[in-house]
Amino acid sequence: MSDYLLEMKGIVKAFNGVPALNGIDIQIKPGECVGLCGENGAGKSTLMKVLSAVYPYGTWDGEILWDGQPLRSQSIAETEAAGIVIIHQELTLVPDLSVAENIFMGHELTLPGGRMNYPAMMHRAEALMRELKVPDMNVALPVSQYGGGYQQLVEIAKALNKQARLLILDEPSSALTRSEIEVLLEIIRGLKAKGVASVYISHKLDEVAAICDTIAVIRDGKHIATTAMADMDTGRIITQMVGREMSNLYPREPHDVGEVLFEARHITCYDVDNPSRKRVDDVSFSLRRGEILGIAGLVGAGRTELVSALFGAYPGRHEGEIWLAGQVIDTRTPLKSIRAGLCMVPEDRKRQGIVPDLGVGQNITLAVLDSYARLTRVDAEAELGSIQHEIARMQLKTATPFLPITSLSGGNQQKAVLAKMLLTRPRVLILDEPTRGVDVGAKYEIYKLMGALAAEGVSIIMVSSELAEVLGVSDRVLVIGEGQLRGDFVNQGLTQEQLLTAALGQPQGPEHSDRKSA
Amino acid sequence: MISVKQLFTRYKMLALLIAVVLIWLFFSWQTEGGFLTPRNLSNLLRQMSITGILACGMVLVIISGEIDLSVGSMLGLLGGVAAILDVIYHVPLPLNLSIVALCGLLIGLGNGYLTAYLRIPSFIVGLGGMLAFRGVLLGITGGTTIAPVSPSLVYIGQGYLSPLAGVVLGVLLFGLTLFLTWRQRLNRARHGLAAHALARDLLRVLFIGLVLAGFVYTLNSYDGIPVPVLLLLTLLGVFSYVTSQTVFGRRIYAVGSNMEATRLSGINVQAVKLWIFGIMGVMCAFAGLVNTARLAAGSPSAGNMGELDAIAACFIGGTSMRGGSGTVYGALLGALVISSLDNGMSMLDVDSYWQMIVKGSILVLAVWVDVSTRAGRR
Repeated sequence: MSDYLLEMKGIVKAFNGVPALNGIDIQIKPGECVGLCGENGAGKSTLMKVLSAVYPYGTWDGEILWDGQPLRSQSIAETEAAGIVIIHQELTLVPDLSVAENIFMGHELTLPGGRMNYPAMMHRAEALMRELKVPDMNVALPVSQYGGGYQQLVEIAKALNKQARLLILDEPSSALTRSEIEVLLEIIRGLKAKGVASVYISHKLDEVAAICDTIAVIRDGKHIATTAMADMDTGRIITQMVGREMSNLYPREPHDVGEVLFEARHITCYDVDNPSRKRVDDVSFSLRRGEILGIAGLVGAGRTELVSALFGAYPGRHEGEIWLAGQVIDTRTPLKSIRAGLCMVPEDRKRQGIVPDLGVGQNITLAVLDSYARLTRVDAEAELGSIQHEIARMQLKTATPFLPITSLSGGNQQKAVLAKMLLTRPRVLILDEPTRGVDVGAKYEIYKLMGALAAEGVSIIMVSSELAEVLGVSDRVLVIGEGQLRGDFVNQGLTQEQLLTAALGQPQGPEHSDRKSA
Repeated sequence: MISVKQLFTRYKMLALLIAVVLIWLFFSWQTEGGFLTPRNLSNLLRQMSITGILACGMVLVIISGEIDLSVGSMLGLLGGVAAILDVIYHVPLPLNLSIVALCGLLIGLGNGYLTAYLRIPSFIVGLGGMLAFRGVLLGITGGTTIAPVSPSLVYIGQGYLSPLAGVVLGVLLFGLTLFLTWRQRLNRARHGLAAHALARDLLRVLFIGLVLAGFVYTLNSYDGIPVPVLLLLTLLGVFSYVTSQTVFGRRIYAVGSNMEATRLSGINVQAVKLWIFGIMGVMCAFAGLVNTARLAAGSPSAGNMGELDAIAACFIGGTSMRGGSGTVYGALLGALVISSLDNGMSMLDVDSYWQMIVKGSILVLAVWVDVSTRAGRR
């Protein structure tokens, strides 16, 4: 008997002859938390799909030992029965069903005749929530009533209910606020103590460093190293991930900040479903030419609502005045904003950014397609010319401009969406979470690009949940809390603590953040 | 290794062509050659033209992620209007055509406005229109057939081009194929992209040439190329151009594939949808005119279930049900499949209930093949 819960030996998986995984070895002991690190496209997700039998046994080479026995699962149901549960980056909850119903999805407790045994399920769901230290959650309410952080907890409760012995968390914190992440990490520690092993996949290396016992790094489908966290630091993880030294995560290009170019005055947004509730409450700010303005705040504070209202993409009622270069501009629709010189790269790349059925190139030129039109026909040559120019400028990695955009990694998709907006030659560029789900290398390139744009005189508004990123990139930082402007800081000697304190609001303590936790 | 499945996935249209050939061979065998006579093929293509004209518009609607169930009734209504203008008011043909086309455009834009701007789901708008337009038609015709329509209108549905005109048309189309192939090779070379193998392109041109020659020869050995078939060919050209070469065409695909991302890229997605429905309306007008001309009468039941044939043609032709992908020529091949089944089964005197069962099954089968090959690509 080995003391490993799981051993993956020499895993090789190829797609149409192209290897995505090339001999990966991972061992996990009971109660161990392994951080799986690698750039986007390195093969992390593929490896986890092999483990959870999304790719059934036989479609890959190598061996998986579970409790010392070979595991040859044909389906996710089999791996779940064995105790391997994966929580995907995109949550798989049904928003309109209750918390309890979601927890028991597929494993419902029943009464004779196939009727749902609601009392038993509620009872068990409440017990699980107590275990996860969120006893105030009403398990009878629809999941949609709770924010992203809570939904993540429901996913974990769902996994625990399946008697998980190994929990795979794929980017669990990408939609969570800082305090929610703390709760999540605390829960994982609690699970560790109970002997539940976990695989933690995240681009946020400080979390990985905080929670993991061992770090396994893969790059280009190859296993680079497995090291005890005690012998590592985030710098060394990054070095292993990218295969080169990356001394500075945030390149700072010196750029001049000019006169006031853009002003938002008294922006107020009302909730779509509840028009009496203000999501953004009378926010005014200005922006100088060539300035990078970071907007920080907790998730749900109203940052995305604010910037979508500026761009004319906010679905509900909103009011306010927007000035560009001394004139009021009409930004009631994205089309009008873009014409006026105001652009936005939205938060949710999959839903709002890419057009999946078009190729990489056609995605890039989508916003400016008319400029290639001769009478009615699109001048394919001119179009291809600017596509190739943008691909080169962005260092976008694609074999040809005709590949489907969905075949690219997250970072490269983001670069394509950015290129699309830059082709419209904006004077003010709004970036909402520009590096979400983007690997370290592509992040660095996006920061560099932002610096270069600012140096050209483009003003940039960047919304980000990563405080380190906000501090690393911005010239000035606005803090939004509960829809209100809570702070306006020049980024000199500014600390994460200062931003967080402002975001939470001085009079209230952390328990009054947008989470409902106690 | 290339499996049959992969081959079908890559050359979906080839698979569809093979299906058409198999259907034709089957009917030809069953009718002892009667199906493949020039007379019947001419007839088949004329029958197909109405479904084909509707499918040209419908494929745009479906690519954009919507559906239009009212086209059958709209076809009937506009055909009825044409008959009334012709029979009762003796409106000259060009004016009649213009009025009917304009009516079609306006009704289509109305559907589009309800869908795009008032955000009523297109399924409901279509369902409502299907009932309402049929009702208007019954009202204005009084439930009776409007006949006889003038010979000039009849020509649109029953006329033929002279054999010489047919040959000239065939030669012109072949010339166009040569030109387009040559230009494509040139463009690919200029952008440093690997051009298709010369043999492949030559084979393709040769194949198209043979099909064109066969097409013109067959139809000329009956009465010549029927006018509605010429109209359909023209529409095929125009719509292929619009979908593949124009800004509007690209936007149709973008709207259908991801409307939110397209809107945030500064595209007026509502206007795109409005005009797609407008075009659909004009196609209904053309189809209605051809239908009235073919029957030489305006009938209150004209175009009944026409929407189903048009929608089925699109789906058989590989248009994605979620929007975002599809081709005009695919939809027309789909229309050819449906018309071939109709025509062949009628020749065999198959009971009409069997015809419905077979057509329904073929639709489901075709979409199953489509769905399963799509999944294999992931």
